[in-house]
This record gives sequence, structure tokens and C-alpha cells, in this order.
Amino acid sequence: MLTYQSGATALHRLDPRGKLLVQFGLAIAVVAHPTVPWLVGATLLGLAALAAARLSPLTVFRAYWVVFAVLAVAPLLAGVALGPPWFRVDPALDSLRAVARVVPILFVSAAYLRTTSVRETRAAVQRVVPGKPGQLLGVGMALVVRLFPLVLSDVREVRDAIRARGGERRSPWERARVLVVRSLDRTLARSDRLGVALRARCFAWNPTLPALAFEGRDYPVLALGLALTLSPLL
Amino acid sequence: MSQEYSSVELVGDETVKHFTMAVLVAALTAALSQISIPLPGSLPPFSLQPFGMFFAGLLLGPLWGGLALALYILVGVAGVPVFSNGNAGLGYVLVGQGTGGFLVGFLAGAVVAGAIVHRDIDPRDLSTVSVLVQVVGLAAALVVVYAIGVPWLSAVTGLPLVRAATVMLPYVPFDVVKLGIAVAIVEGGYLATR
Repeated sequence: MLTYQSGATALHRLDPRGKLLVQFGLAIAVVAHPTVPWLVGATLLGLAALAAARLSPLTVFRAYWVVFAVLAVAPLLAGVALGPPWFRVDPALDSLRAVARVVPILFVSAAYLRTTSVRETRAAVQRVVPGKPGQLLGVGMALVVRLFPLVLSDVREVRDAIRARGGERRSPWERARVLVVRSLDRTLARSDRLGVALRARCFAWNPTLPALAFEGRDYPVLALGLALTLSPLL
Repeated sequence: MSQEYSSVELVGDETVKHFTMAVLVAALTAALSQISIPLPGSLPPFSLQPFGMFFAGLLLGPLWGGLALALYILVGVAGVPVFSNGNAGLGYVLVGQGTGGFLVGFLAGAVVAGAIVHRDIDPRDLSTVSVLVQVVGLAAALVVVYAIGVPWLSAVTGLPLVRAATVMLPYVPFDVVKLGIAVAIVEGGYLATR
């Protein structure tokens, strides 16, 4: 699993908004330009991002192995025919070219995850989305990050309790119903408590956030993100 | 670090109530994405992820239900392993294994389900909503999920659209069963106090 690690690399110091823009731009660019030179360029950019984040491509392949395993099946599925010759090469190659575009995007995404804390992404979202909607998104992100492990633990507890009471003899639909009902019940109880806690603490529209400001080193990254995003128009 | 010292503008009680529920439904969606029930034979596991979308729309309406799913996706983009198999990152949403369209579809589906079921921005009491309207709302949400997810899968994997749809076809009956379970939970009175 790829997680944030504090560090002092160049990518750590970049503004998260520029890094997010590069990811969007790269995805748009490789989809708009399905050619070998663009694929090679994008892969080199992905490898450069990994090197700048001090992250090995092998680590990324290991972290996303399920993704790559599923994608590896796509060209086979595309090539299979229901009659002679049973396997057609051209559609399989088209699919392979499409799947290859995923690799650089995941490389850049992995570099982002390793070098950007959740708090910075939250600040980026809150700065990009103006006004109260942005504030709700920002505070909401922070709360979901905090509460996700608790809710996951609740759901697992319910699942284990069902299992301990011989629930596996029930049909999957009945188990799903019981699991969802009990999990929902606990979740909504937590929601009630969270609401009371927020009101008790004078939950207000005036947040305190880390300061974000573009510096000289961010402008080349922003320019790259913009160029990639607008590349289909060129 | 910048701080604000101006007068405090408290968030209203109704907003706090809907907001906290959206936060918890987002966390529940993330938790249910990690859990699936194995089915016999070579059938795919029974994923519980769509229940997040269903209950976001049913409990919260279009605005707050949409917020719940938006929070779920944003937290995953920020690096928290909330997507299936513990995946995270913007790259996973955009391309991943081609299923990013279903994540975006869940967001749109929650908005559509909420709009049909509640016919207003703010959610209304579910006991006043007929079963038919609930079923139509959730069915429309499923249509939206597949309408976004299948072309997205086709674009990422290079599979022809029909073949991408064929790949996803086995999941449709299970999603219909999940829809039935969600409506049964509402009609069973389990959410009556909410």
C-alpha cells in the first residue's frame, strides 16, 4: 500500500494543486494522443516523477498489482473471437496500447501519494473550491479520514459476530441484509454523536488551514499540468 | 500559518445534522468497499459497495448524498486506502483497472436517487415515500452507474463497448438484489427513527 512519507524531496516541496493538475493533464494527454511517442514521453515523465519521489517502479507495481493483473486480462478479452480464428491480434493490440497508458498515470499518482499528506490535499481542495462548499468538503475530508478506521472496525465486528453465531449457514442475501442493517445502525449512531460534538464545540465556518502559496518552483509544474491538459486542443 | 480572528459564524443545526450523516455515510461506503461476501462456485464476490450510494441517496437526498460520495472519492484521491482492495490515488480513479467510472457513477447515482426519492434538495421522511418511488430512484441510480462505468471501462481498457458491457453483465443481477435489500431495509422500519 502506498502511503505518504515525510521527506525533503523536490516533490514534497511542491504545491499540491500543481501536482494534482499534472495528474489530470497527463490522463487527458495520453487519452487524447494514443500514439507511441506520447506513450514513451508519458512513461518517461512517470519514471521521472517516481525518481523525484525516491520511489521504485517495482514498489508501484507491487502496490497496484491487482490493478495490473486485471488490466493484463483486457487485451486477451479484446482478442478473443467466438469463431475462427478464435483470437484476433489487432483488437488485442489496440487494447494493449490502451492499457499501456495506465502505467505512467499510476506512476505519477503514486509519486503524489508518497509525497503529499492528506492534510495538504484537503487544503488544496478547500482552496480550489470556493466558499462554504469548499469548507464543508475540507472539514468533511478530515472527518472521514478520522472516522473511516472506526467505521471499518464496526463493520468487521458485525461481520465477525454474524460468523460467530453461525451466520454463514444463512443465504448470502440474508447475511448482506443483516450486515448492512447493523453497520448502518452503528454508523448513524456515530453520526448523531458527531453532530452533538460539533455543535458543542461551536462548529463554525471559520477554519484554520495551513497556508498555501505558489512559489517559483511551482510555476514550471503548473505550466506542465496546463500544457498537458490543453494538449488535445493543440 | 494564517488564522482568522473575525467573529464566529456558527454552522446551522440542520446543516450539521446532514453534514455529519454525509461524513459517516462516506466512511461507511469506504468500509463496505473493503468487505465482500463470497458466493459459491465461480461467481464474483458479493460486493457491498453500492449500498453506500443507495443509502446516500435514500437518507440524504441529492445534495448531501452527493457530498457523501464526493467525500468518499476525495479521501481516496488524497491517499486513504478506501477503494476496493485498499487502493487509493487519483490515478486509480482516472484509469485504475478501468473501474473509475463506477466510482464517479456512484456519485452521480446518489444524486439521481436522492433527487427522485426526495424531489427536493433537503431529504424528506422516508416513511412518506412509496416503495415504487424508492425502487425507481435506486434503479435509475444503477442505470447511471452503468451508463458512466461501462464506456469508461471501454475507454481505459480499449475493449469495444459491447464487450465491456458483456464483462459487466454478470454483476447486474447482483446489483438488482442489492437494490431489493436496500428497499427491504427501509420498508422493514430499520431506519424509522432517522
